[in-house]
Amino acid sequence: MIARVADMCFWFGRYVERAESTARMLASTASMALDAELPAEQVWRPVIVVSGEEAAFREHHNDAAWGDGELVQRFMVWDASNGASLVSSIEGARWNARSIREVLSLEAWEAINELHLWLPAAQGQYRDHREGFYQQVRRTTQLALGLLRSTMLHDEPLDFIWLGVLLERVSQTARMLDVHHHAFGAFAGNELLENGLWLTLLRGLSGSEAYVKKSAGRIGPEGVARFLIAETAFPRSIAYCVHSAYERLCHIRPPEAHSLPGGMSLERLSVLDRWIAERQNHERVHELLTHVVDEIHAICALLGQELFGGL
Amino acid sequence: MRQSQSQIQGVVGPLFEAYEALPSTYDELFEAGAPRPPFTRVVELLDALGKDQLARAQAIAENALLQQGVTFSVYGDSRGVEKIFPFCLLPRLIAAADWAPLERGLQQRLRALGLFLDDIYGDQRILAAGIVPAEMVLGAQSYRPMLRGIKPPGGVRIHIAGVDLIRDTAGTWRVLEDNLRTPSGVSYVVENRLMSKRMFPRAFDAARVQRVDHYPTRLAETLRSVSPAADTNAVVLTPGPYNSAYFEHSFLARTMGLELVQAPDLFVERDCVFCKTTRGPKRVDVIYRRTDEAFLDPEVFRADSVLGVPGLMRAYAAGNVALANAPGNGVADDKAVYPFVHDMIKFYLDEEPILEQVPTYVCLRDADRAYVLEHLGELVVKAVDEAGGYGMLMGPQSTQAQRDEFRARIIAEPRRYIAQHRVELSSCPTWIGESGSVEPRRVDLRPYILTSRNGPWVLPGGLTRVALVKGSYVVNSSQGGGSKDTWVMRP
Repeated sequence: MIARVADMCFWFGRYVERAESTARMLASTASMALDAELPAEQVWRPVIVVSGEEAAFREHHNDAAWGDGELVQRFMVWDASNGASLVSSIEGARWNARSIREVLSLEAWEAINELHLWLPAAQGQYRDHREGFYQQVRRTTQLALGLLRSTMLHDEPLDFIWLGVLLERVSQTARMLDVHHHAFGAFAGNELLENGLWLTLLRGLSGSEAYVKKSAGRIGPEGVARFLIAETAFPRSIAYCVHSAYERLCHIRPPEAHSLPGGMSLERLSVLDRWIAERQNHERVHELLTHVVDEIHAICALLGQELFGGL
Repeated sequence: MRQSQSQIQGVVGPLFEAYEALPSTYDELFEAGAPRPPFTRVVELLDALGKDQLARAQAIAENALLQQGVTFSVYGDSRGVEKIFPFCLLPRLIAAADWAPLERGLQQRLRALGLFLDDIYGDQRILAAGIVPAEMVLGAQSYRPMLRGIKPPGGVRIHIAGVDLIRDTAGTWRVLEDNLRTPSGVSYVVENRLMSKRMFPRAFDAARVQRVDHYPTRLAETLRSVSPAADTNAVVLTPGPYNSAYFEHSFLARTMGLELVQAPDLFVERDCVFCKTTRGPKRVDVIYRRTDEAFLDPEVFRADSVLGVPGLMRAYAAGNVALANAPGNGVADDKAVYPFVHDMIKFYLDEEPILEQVPTYVCLRDADRAYVLEHLGELVVKAVDEAGGYGMLMGPQSTQAQRDEFRARIIAEPRRYIAQHRVELSSCPTWIGESGSVEPRRVDLRPYILTSRNGPWVLPGGLTRVALVKGSYVVNSSQGGGSKDTWVMRP
């Protein structure tokens, strides 16, 4: 397929996934803020840190703003200058979708277009019914992701979209776990509080029920980290997403097709996949996660050079 | 949308209640207060829907178009604002007996225009014979001397044409303009049809309407028919998502199953065109280009074009890629050449022209110029090289100073001016949301003609453009125009 179109498919997938995960994270954090008995800054600051927009936030706001939940949410939902905000992600998804409208199915396109039309008119719902607002974003993005798989041809365009979704998801999971793992260390020993925090993180990744099933109800830093990094049955774990991304890339560029571009990307993703699968020890979580985030970054750059025409 | 629904409450009564056609104007559906005979049953069925139903259907349809993204981009808005192309659900009907001569006339006209282009970029027999004054053609900005001697792959130049027609007070079809470069609007023909079938299934059924949804298939066949290769890779070339017709470019690529490419996706090597794919370069044989020819190739046309593909014209001249439409076609739809189309039909085909056009005075001819200078106050004078309203004198509304200025300009450069009487456009019943009633509005018609190796084919339908502003004759979408579905009845 056209290299530029592949690039836009990839970014379409990333933006849709990013919108979904941002809405999910904001909803679970807002819920936690109600009963966490934590200083507000420790509740809200991680949201900005995970999004990677700390510097932009600091530019416009003073230190007290870290604890202002309304301000943080406004920044993460409506601020068009924030590349990770919901408006930016949804517009990014819709812009790419419109540019590759001819490869998307009508149903998937309509879901994204409706979200784009709905958002500017949803200020009232945001004000009066915050939970419902986040829910609507999540439902529509999930609908779009589901429709892509159930209404599109399962060939190259869908492979690129899904590659984007999966690599975005790896980064989101890694960054959320990293930020929280670091922050929660301060509460070691306060079991009740710690449990609440880990559950919030798991909820933010749609993983609380799955985790409880896998761990027979035991909640602790090692268990949660192992689950989010290595649980191959959990569709948001790092191991699952990296491996699925590798499989997608194998469809696009089969390992034996040496004459086709994409060999370096495939090799590097394959190395990362094996590296994660072979990890037995998940104690040095921060180092491990930093390595994952750096590798994903490098792989995306390689994809750009090899498959997206160096755009 | 919620607002428009509350507005329409209280709008009741049969649809065409109190409908009054305009005086001394041909109305498409009514004659002397009654439906025209071929349309009686359809008009009854539409009438029975009532105003409230129509208002509701119109609101639903507009909302559906927005949700589906059937929109055009508004130029000059950096945020990429998009709007739906205004349209009226009430269809324009064309009886089978009216369509048949129109179809034959369009085919005849396209054959003659194609032969004219072959001739102008070939031996120029028609100029040598003195049928068309050489200076009208060779002096036109749209004539491209560097294309002379180049034969297009498959021998076709006007693959896609959109011919603008009006109906005068007697109901006679007249060609107003031939669009032979990159005519747009056909996607709205197909989309409007989906909507009117959904909203008026009974009336549609009763009208026995010819289908239009096979247009993309016919277009794809047309493109393949001129391919220089056996296993054709055809693509659609768009200037990009900021272009006002981007929806249509995407629509056509999607419905034909072709790749939609932008100029940076293409490159030329050894006079062959390739596109950059995820599996390396892939040869391109046919390009349905929706980029203006001035921007196609910076090596040949505008050097500042970022929408172009360097070397594309070399590949075209070598016969390695077909371009639809062929570059250089502008010389055949030029205002200066329009007055001579009937002469072309006689010269190339030895046939009598089937379709009328608007009588035009060519100021280069002594007798015509004398008449024009005598009657400046009654005529519309147009400069041939200038588009839109520029360089135009609307005689009946002009001042003495303006007429004097044009008189001097015509005498100085007669080649640059033509003149016509003001044309009357027919009207068609149109739903007006603000008044909650049906009122007459002026319309034109743009049918689409595809020409493959086997000759021209006319899509039985077309874009009916309607001047939504009361009293207006301007049907352009940029100036308050909208569209209607066009129902061509089966014989």
